[in-house]
Amino acid sequence: MQDVYIIVPAYNESGVIYGVLSDLLKNFPNVVCVNDGSKDTTAQEVRKTKATLVTHPINLGQGAALQTGIEYALLDPKAKYFVTFDSDGQHRIEDVKKMLQEIRKDKHDILLGSRFLGEAKNITKVRKALLKAAVVFTRTTSGLKVTDAHNGLRVFNRLVAEGLNITMPDMAHGSEIIERIAEKKFRYKELPVTIQYTDYSQAKGQSALNAINVGFDIILNRIVKK
Amino acid sequence: MILIQLVLIVAIVALMIRFLSSRGSNQTQAWKKLLLMLFTALAIIFVVWPESLNTIAHFVGVGRGADLLLYSLIVAFVFQSFNTYLKGKEEQRRFAKVASKVAILEARLNNK
Repeated sequence: MQDVYIIVPAYNESGVIYGVLSDLLKNFPNVVCVNDGSKDTTAQEVRKTKATLVTHPINLGQGAALQTGIEYALLDPKAKYFVTFDSDGQHRIEDVKKMLQEIRKDKHDILLGSRFLGEAKNITKVRKALLKAAVVFTRTTSGLKVTDAHNGLRVFNRLVAEGLNITMPDMAHGSEIIERIAEKKFRYKELPVTIQYTDYSQAKGQSALNAINVGFDIILNRIVKK
Repeated sequence: MILIQLVLIVAIVALMIRFLSSRGSNQTQAWKKLLLMLFTALAIIFVVWPESLNTIAHFVGVGRGADLLLYSLIVAFVFQSFNTYLKGKEEQRRFAKVASKVAILEARLNNK
């Protein structure tokens, strides 16, 4: 597992980050936590673990945090596989292991977790509807038939890590990654994963209104391609 | 010549000189300068002969020259706002890149 890097973007997650990172470190030696300019004690909590802490001087958004984590991991020439993992404890480590097994077969460049192929525990109706709408949107803009556009669990190889180049700093990166896959013709596959919705992750999740911001930015980005 | 005409012409010419003396030598910059000179010429013509604006307004089917001016202003304003919005986004992106590099460098230093 020395060739695997787990990238965990975190923003104001002091309550859960220690537990999430500790569980990851039991299974994977290289865990990079990108503290996205948190205003709470997230950084101190990360320092209690053996995870590498990379701290944005100011809050830049989750997309930027992922890109920073990927670039940090790329500095290690031994890094072959990269995993993005949400910091609020909604993903399962079993799913990561399963995805790593699959990507080691070298049939795909990137594997995307899908809660709609798998299981979404305790998901609210509003959230489900919102995520479904996001999927329709992403399918239209990217042309890829994905079932879940905004799942934080992804596993990819060095080719993708070097080519991803996430420029959307905020939540629009979910769709941006899918579009990049289409654009660069990466070999991709969705794997069913289980998302455990807790009260905590529910409260931290994006508001429905933000979907409008994200959608607008993605469309704008398409129109104004330099 | 009435006072307002004098004030407007001085303001327009001052603006043009201010912008033309600014640096930047790529093509977009050149186009902007040409447009600005066109704007200056038209502005002076309309200030000195206000009736000419009325004539143009009537020609394109607008009641008064002042109305035509307002409509053009709205279009220009919306265009400018959109431009500023895009520029802001681009700045944000560049800024994020710098901050990201700083974070990585700092982490490398701490983990040596």
